Amino acid sequence: MNADVSTHAIDPSTMNKRRPGDTVRSLSRETPCFEVKNLDLYYGKDAALKNITMMVPAKRVTACIGPSGCGKSTLLRCFNRMNDLVDSCRIEGQILLDGANIYDKGIDVPELRRRVGMVFQKPNPFPKTIYENVAYGLRLQGVNNRAVLNEVVERSLKRAALWDEVKDRLNEPAFSLSGGQQQRLVIARAVAIEPEVLLLDEPCSALDPIATARIEELIDELTSEYTIVIVTHNMQQAARVSDYTAFMYLGELIEYDDTQLIFTNPKQQRTQDYVTGRFG
Amino acid sequence: MNEIGTEVTPQAGSNIKSLLPKAKQRERLRRWRGFKDGTSRNVVWAGGVSVIVALGLIFVYLFSEIVPMFLPASIERASEYRPPLPEDARIVHVSMERYREVAFALAKDGSYVFFRPATGLPILEGRLAIPDGVEVTAFGHGEPRTRLSVLGLSDGRALAVRDAYSLTYPDGVRLVTPKIEFPLGEEPLPVDPEGRRLIEVAIQEGVRGFAMAAATDDGRLLLSQFTARRDFMTGRTTLDVDTVELPSLDAGITRLLLSIDLRDLLVGDAEGRLTYYDVSAPARARPVDSRQVLPDGFEVSALSYLLGTVSIIVGGSDGSVTQWFLVRDDQNVRHLTRIRDFDPHPAAVTSINPEYSRKGFITADAKGNVALKFATSSRSLMMQNVVNERPISHAILAPRNDGLFALDADDLLHYYEVDNPHPQVSFRALWQKVWYEGRSQPEYVWQSSSATDEFEPKFSLVPMTLGTIKAAFYAMLFAMPLAIMGAIYSAYFMTPRMRGMTKPTIEIMEALPTVILGFLAGLWFAPFVERHLPAVFSVLILMPLTMLVVSFIWAKLPRGVRKAIPDGWEAAVLVPFIILTGWFCVEMSPHLEIWFFNGDMRQWLTDQGITYDQRNALVVGVAMGFAVIPTIFSIAEDAIFNVPRHLTQGSLALGATTWQTVTRVVLLTASPGIFSAVMIGLGRAVGETMIVLMATGNSPIVNFNIFEGMRTLSANIAVELPEAEFGGTHYRILFLSALVLFVLTFFLNTAAEIVRQRLRKKYASL
Repeated sequence: MNADVSTHAIDPSTMNKRRPGDTVRSLSRETPCFEVKNLDLYYGKDAALKNITMMVPAKRVTACIGPSGCGKSTLLRCFNRMNDLVDSCRIEGQILLDGANIYDKGIDVPELRRRVGMVFQKPNPFPKTIYENVAYGLRLQGVNNRAVLNEVVERSLKRAALWDEVKDRLNEPAFSLSGGQQQRLVIARAVAIEPEVLLLDEPCSALDPIATARIEELIDELTSEYTIVIVTHNMQQAARVSDYTAFMYLGELIEYDDTQLIFTNPKQQRTQDYVTGRFG
Repeated sequence: MNEIGTEVTPQAGSNIKSLLPKAKQRERLRRWRGFKDGTSRNVVWAGGVSVIVALGLIFVYLFSEIVPMFLPASIERASEYRPPLPEDARIVHVSMERYREVAFALAKDGSYVFFRPATGLPILEGRLAIPDGVEVTAFGHGEPRTRLSVLGLSDGRALAVRDAYSLTYPDGVRLVTPKIEFPLGEEPLPVDPEGRRLIEVAIQEGVRGFAMAAATDDGRLLLSQFTARRDFMTGRTTLDVDTVELPSLDAGITRLLLSIDLRDLLVGDAEGRLTYYDVSAPARARPVDSRQVLPDGFEVSALSYLLGTVSIIVGGSDGSVTQWFLVRDDQNVRHLTRIRDFDPHPAAVTSINPEYSRKGFITADAKGNVALKFATSSRSLMMQNVVNERPISHAILAPRNDGLFALDADDLLHYYEVDNPHPQVSFRALWQKVWYEGRSQPEYVWQSSSATDEFEPKFSLVPMTLGTIKAAFYAMLFAMPLAIMGAIYSAYFMTPRMRGMTKPTIEIMEALPTVILGFLAGLWFAPFVERHLPAVFSVLILMPLTMLVVSFIWAKLPRGVRKAIPDGWEAAVLVPFIILTGWFCVEMSPHLEIWFFNGDMRQWLTDQGITYDQRNALVVGVAMGFAVIPTIFSIAEDAIFNVPRHLTQGSLALGATTWQTVTRVVLLTASPGIFSAVMIGLGRAVGETMIVLMATGNSPIVNFNIFEGMRTLSANIAVELPEAEFGGTHYRILFLSALVLFVLTFFLNTAAEIVRQRLRKKYASL
């Protein structure tokens, strides 16, 4: 079995082209954005996340990789408390955002979610116009001034590299856009409310390679302003876009380090096996 | 550690044995599969087509029942002849009996004949006892049903005659035997004490005896009343004549009419005027109202009462035909009022005669035309030239409106078969305000039957159409907020377990027979509401208030207390409070009545000028609302529940609260479903029969007062169809109202479907 593993292996030269001269990064030198402390998560009686402790650095791209069902999406959803929507879900431990536990009683969850934006696997524009999709988050915050909305919509669409394609059809339904455009629209919608963090849950899995490339470029551009956490099945993508990579397996954080190290010189055998495609 | 890699699948040509069936078996299976596929496709297709065909056939059937009402009348020449009377006798009166087996003609010289209308063969001939040297100078007749005629003589006397028919069935065959009767004796009775020639006479037989009006050639107007007295000793009947002279008119009198209650006398004159005398007390009789009914230079050339002697049809020498009746004003004085105009004749109207059982009439003119018209529907059903360019002196209808006689100036009698089954219906009669007899203004009225024969059926569909809309409106007013809010709560805020219990429970309400709902509404709820009227309103105010207050307090309670109730079960906390509020409102109701409404809110409402019926729109709204809530709830709940999770999560992830998500994304996306839920509920409310039948009081009134009842199209059909004469106008109008109902729901559903499709397109979610 798996005689031909070399096709799955990552060529280090394709990785992280943004800062070619960079030496290996170290988490200890980064400013923390999220600090996860001893996080356990249960669905009913089943533990989905086991004792996760990690630090998510600010203004960096952190990728979560791992086989299906390893809990990476669950972990991502902990950062903006989307798991609250699951009835049987129970969480122990802490996640600190700027030093405050987001699972504290006094936390205003909608405000947390404004600060921590999320983009889902499948593009999910609302059944509204392109304009209204981007303006939605602002309207939630009580902004209804047309001039302000216009400016934010334009700025957000530009930031999501969609402006040139849609500027003449802002009042058309969002569903008239292609899948890749829709995903960028959703990103524009997320950045419109000026979040600090963007959580990307397999943002390219429903897209074709060209659209994927556009999104990846976009992630590259957004990283100067946002802390980005991306969950992906595509290891090349993780290698291409992220600064740090966490490898998870069966609800545990196996290894978390600089992306280059994870893909070229992992400390754990399981990480090695996974990134070289020995299992998936 | 699970091993994941490419699975080994048996490839074609590999040495692994295929486990699939043999090629031959597969071939057979393919054929069988193809057959099943084709069959099911055809069955589904046939089912769909037959549904459409069935629907189309219902339409066709309804139309086939309705169309005859809108067809014009037709007449067909049967025969023409000179009635078998002496050569020089001028005919003054013709009539037919019910079965058109025998007809009657009366001539100016007093000779009369009964004959076969179809052939003109005589059956019975005779001559009235008119003294020698005296001529018949005037002729008049009473209500057609009384078959009473009067001959005014040149010596100031008058003779009343009646053509009577007795019906026997020897050997099971109908035999009509005619005879002539003299209700006031065979001898002419003196009308004018001065013995002047009578130029116009009118007679009527009322409950108080006979009355006669006459105009003399010296311009006097006389009214005679005849009272029969029977001598107990001799057994002889003596007749008292009481004649008074009425204030006369300046112009020459051309026509006289007496009403059947012997209260009104109408006089048409040569100057185109109609004058109304109140003769209820003959001694004090005087002209009450006089109206110019025709333009200058024209005279009233024909004048007739319609059935029931309320409506007056005036025919002018200018060919105009107008309807008038006496309308009471504020001072209770009756005035001649022009009600409607009919299509005019091209020449002077010479004869107008009413139908025997309906508010229709026949008119004839000086150029040989006869026309059939109908008062209530303002229809001119037919106009045909019967005699070429020669005047028609008399035109009369058979008692059952199936034949007519037109007598021309040469005394040639033209006999026609008439087909005029449904003159009462016109667009105007159905949908516009109609001025009915005895009413003070045009109105929308539905009153299809009554105890008397003279009754004018009132077939306005407006009250029932509005009633249907009213019932549906109040039902939706009650059901829509409850059902939709309930659907939102159940789909979005309830725990799955509570939802799993609530939803089927509400859906089972739909299976509740509406007859039970109607029965409860009519017999229990309506009296309850009447007795606890303040409770209804205090519930309306207090119930939402209680819910808000309880929810607010609940939200402020310490966490420990709230933990006692599992998440999503908070609604259960409300239940005792809701029951308590309801009980409180009912208990407080009598006190509220005493404090604010002088002890009786119903009386108080009446004093405010608001009519209150026990069975009213409020009761129907609640009862029928109860019936449509499950429909709306169920469909709306599904629509809301099926809004894709990724949309709500997308909204929540953008920092929206649950409520913001519900109002801005969920309801928007579910709007096509919610809309169709509402429309299906509305369709049900419009078509619902049993509840409205039992809880509305079925009064066909035209208003939107919540405290008054209504009659809906469906209830009307249910109430009246069993009693309607098969194939009659009433029967067909009920079919028409069924079609209106059908079209109403069809239109609603089609509009709803179009809107829904557009919404769906607009808010389609991936």
